[in-house]
Amino acid sequence: MEILLTREQIKARVKELGEKISADYSGKGDLVLVAVLRGSVYFAVDLSRCLEIPFVLDFIGISSYAGAASSRGIVRITKDLESSIVQRHVLLLEDIVDTGLTLNYLMQNLRTRNPASLRVCAFLDMPARRIVNIPLDYCGFSLPDFYVVGYGLDHQERYRNLEVVAALKEMP
Amino acid sequence: MAVITISRHFGSAGELVARLVAEKTGYLLINKAKIADRMRSIGILEPELSFFDEKNISPADQAAGWELESRRRRYLEGLHEYFYDLAIRENLVIVGRGAQFLFHDFPPALHVKIFASMQSRIERVCRLYNLDEAAAARLILEQDRDREAYLRQVFGYDWLDPTFYHLLINTGVTGPEEAAGLIVTAARLKEEAGEITAQELEQRFWEQEKAETPLDLRGEGNRQSGTAPDFAHPSEAEFARMLDFYRIKWLYEPKTFPLEWDSEGTVTEAFTPDFYLPEQDLYLELTTQKQQLVWKKNKKIRRLKEIYPEVQVKIIYGRDFRGLLKKYGIEEKGE
Repeated sequence: MEILLTREQIKARVKELGEKISADYSGKGDLVLVAVLRGSVYFAVDLSRCLEIPFVLDFIGISSYAGAASSRGIVRITKDLESSIVQRHVLLLEDIVDTGLTLNYLMQNLRTRNPASLRVCAFLDMPARRIVNIPLDYCGFSLPDFYVVGYGLDHQERYRNLEVVAALKEMP
Repeated sequence: MAVITISRHFGSAGELVARLVAEKTGYLLINKAKIADRMRSIGILEPELSFFDEKNISPADQAAGWELESRRRRYLEGLHEYFYDLAIRENLVIVGRGAQFLFHDFPPALHVKIFASMQSRIERVCRLYNLDEAAAARLILEQDRDREAYLRQVFGYDWLDPTFYHLLINTGVTGPEEAAGLIVTAARLKEEAGEITAQELEQRFWEQEKAETPLDLRGEGNRQSGTAPDFAHPSEAEFARMLDFYRIKWLYEPKTFPLEWDSEGTVTEAFTPDFYLPEQDLYLELTTQKQQLVWKKNKKIRRLKEIYPEVQVKIIYGRDFRGLLKKYGIEEKGE
């Protein structure tokens, strides 16, 4: 395992993002932070601590593709928002955007709920893997095509709690 | 979530009853104004809005051609998607627009028909629109005819068929307040009878939509399971399933791009990307070859970009695709 982002780098960048987001949304009223379960939880907690504006924190979960053997043929919401986002500013928090398939679905779904605005903040961007291009409004780090774990990102539910982001050299 | 659909004869105070029901229950009222807001947000504006809202397309209009049908299809898809998406997370009162048919198989839905005698409708329309009796009667007949024809054309059902409704309420004898009270009571009883989760609802609608939508009315090229083309490689089928899962529309090998010609103008080399994603306007080439063997494909794509600079094309290498499958915990199928 190779460390790509240290705890200090992450902390500094998340603080910068918090300041930028606070400035951008200052005076605009309620902001709803929508954290995508489960990977973005760590990012959402740290980022929200750096915000200097009022916000509501909510969570959304969606199912993952599981191949032909999957009993359910389409993506579905496994945990829906508890807050209404109608006419409210929404910032979607993702741990990583790679293919853009998940983000594309989430954006489409949230857009139908008529938010005042909808933006994306991704902790990690992996543009080399992109299939669906969606502009990221805020991005922590852009990384080349590694299989990464830590800071919420897991491999088979392991490594989420690492305080660093590391590349798995060999897929176990 | 709960859905109350209110089908109404013109002049029978259906809109008023719906508003009272929404006020009493706190459900979101989906009426003409709300629908117009939504349609405008997806770029469907007047006069198109009024032209398509609960109106059938007459034979004369149909003769105007495919363009009209296409626009109307866009309107209907936008409208029905709006209902389905909202119903996943909100309790709704929907006025008209065939919601009783759209939500026919949705157990928590309560379907109501509001009607009244011709005489009481005429009296109400005269009062509301300041018309004489003959004009009011003409307006009532015209509006009812439009709605009936629209529902028959779009859904193929008769809106007078009582088997589509839980309640038929005659506002000529009950009055709007009493009618709303009956509906609220019926809704409460239904709600007590059982609930359905948002996930089950979304899954059900999606599957129903896939099963019921005729091929020629589906998205521009979204090949759903059961109509899959003959893929050249199992990885392409897997990739198509993945796109379907995330609701990305795709076409398989829809276009061949000539790349080289001989002196006679005959095409000597061409390239057919595996997938086209119409919503992204993006061609994708999936390769399972080893990285060092894909130079020929890379060369073709470079050439394609030279000749057709406006075409967006991306290659997904075997390594990337295997990484994607592993991310989802899927074992790769045989080459």
